[in-house]
Amino acid sequence: MTSISVAGSAIGPAPYIYVTTRMRVRKSKLLPREEYLRMLNMSLPEITRIIEESQYKAEIDELSQSFSGIDLVEVALSWNLAKEYQKILAITPGRLRIFLQTYLRSWDIQNVLTILRGKSQGMRVGKIKEILIPAGSLDRITLDRLLGEESPERVVEALKGKRLYPVVEKEFPAAHESGSYAHMENELYKAYYADLIETAQAGVKGGRAFLEYIQLEIDIRNLQVAFRLRQGPIPEDAREMFIEGGEVKPDELVRLAVAEASDELIETLQQRVGAETLGGLIDQIRGDAPIHAIENALTHLRLDKMTRISKRHVFSIVTILDYLERKRFEVINLRALARGKESNLPTERIQSYLVI
Amino acid sequence: MAVETMSVEVAEASARGLVAIGAGLAVGMAGLATAIAQYGIGTAAVGATAENKDIFGLVLVLTVIPETIVIFGLVVALLLLF
Repeated sequence: MTSISVAGSAIGPAPYIYVTTRMRVRKSKLLPREEYLRMLNMSLPEITRIIEESQYKAEIDELSQSFSGIDLVEVALSWNLAKEYQKILAITPGRLRIFLQTYLRSWDIQNVLTILRGKSQGMRVGKIKEILIPAGSLDRITLDRLLGEESPERVVEALKGKRLYPVVEKEFPAAHESGSYAHMENELYKAYYADLIETAQAGVKGGRAFLEYIQLEIDIRNLQVAFRLRQGPIPEDAREMFIEGGEVKPDELVRLAVAEASDELIETLQQRVGAETLGGLIDQIRGDAPIHAIENALTHLRLDKMTRISKRHVFSIVTILDYLERKRFEVINLRALARGKESNLPTERIQSYLVI
Repeated sequence: MAVETMSVEVAEASARGLVAIGAGLAVGMAGLATAIAQYGIGTAAVGATAENKDIFGLVLVLTVIPETIVIFGLVVALLLLF
């Protein structure tokens, strides 16, 4: 509370209070569960109209010249998400911004991989561009430049000097040859999480809450992979698929993934997140719930746990991340709803894919 | 050792002085407490208003609530002085 402003740096906790209050107000404007349930019973034009009348209006108006129908909804949702993230980055001061920038780098991974995959499959530039979400450190202009490159090799070259480059350069030849970027993706995420942990542990104030959240995210992600691995034969390099840095170690996860019964896996999950938060999830896992339902339940668990952490560290980065993630899932839900309705999927099926 | 004695006038004067210091402390410290309270509330109020302009009236009221602390200080100071 006593530090003094030096050349734009933060003064005491005031910026934290300011930004987290704004995030809380924004979070309260997100669509509530009832609204999704109402939308599930609507037709596609009605859903589109609701989206148009909500906070996505500006993007819908802006893009209505170039796109129409379901594509318009989808692109508008992605644009809105990217814009929202950039706006939040702009109002976030000091250390919080450093944490946030590091966290948002996951979008760079997603965008670069999308471009590489699209390019190696010979997709149209316009089509790739539609699904990019420039919410990370690579902005729209940089991504456009990457898209303009002729081949995946050139894209990798153009990344020189960026944070992702060392891993991309190392993994690209093998990935390009085999045509599968899965291994590269794993390596990129591993480097990303190692980076996040390093930033959180750098001794900067507020890092503890950040670290707590990152470890939760790593653990939930790893457990999702473990559940996924149980669906089929376990590959030899299963250990490499898990990310280091969480509370549950990769060796333990491999053992759990190959175990006959899922009881042990559930037990680990219970220990990690606390039995009281699991609730109905255990029944879902014990029963023969489809993998997407389990993943959804785990995501739900992560979001709930995240909200809990954000309530404990009220004026911290976690409150901001809590909003960012919930916003992301709002966009994912709306997209699933619109796409599902367009493909005439039954309501129950669409609902099982929503994180609400 | 000689014991210094204080004349009645001097004693009265220093008593008045101490009362004045007490009154000053009552207002000053209450003012500081108010400032600390308003610091957090004011920041949150600005953040909330930036997102939703309609609540400006409400957050303004919330921001001035800590003023009561300094009023208590003022009342104590006035009681001391008069």
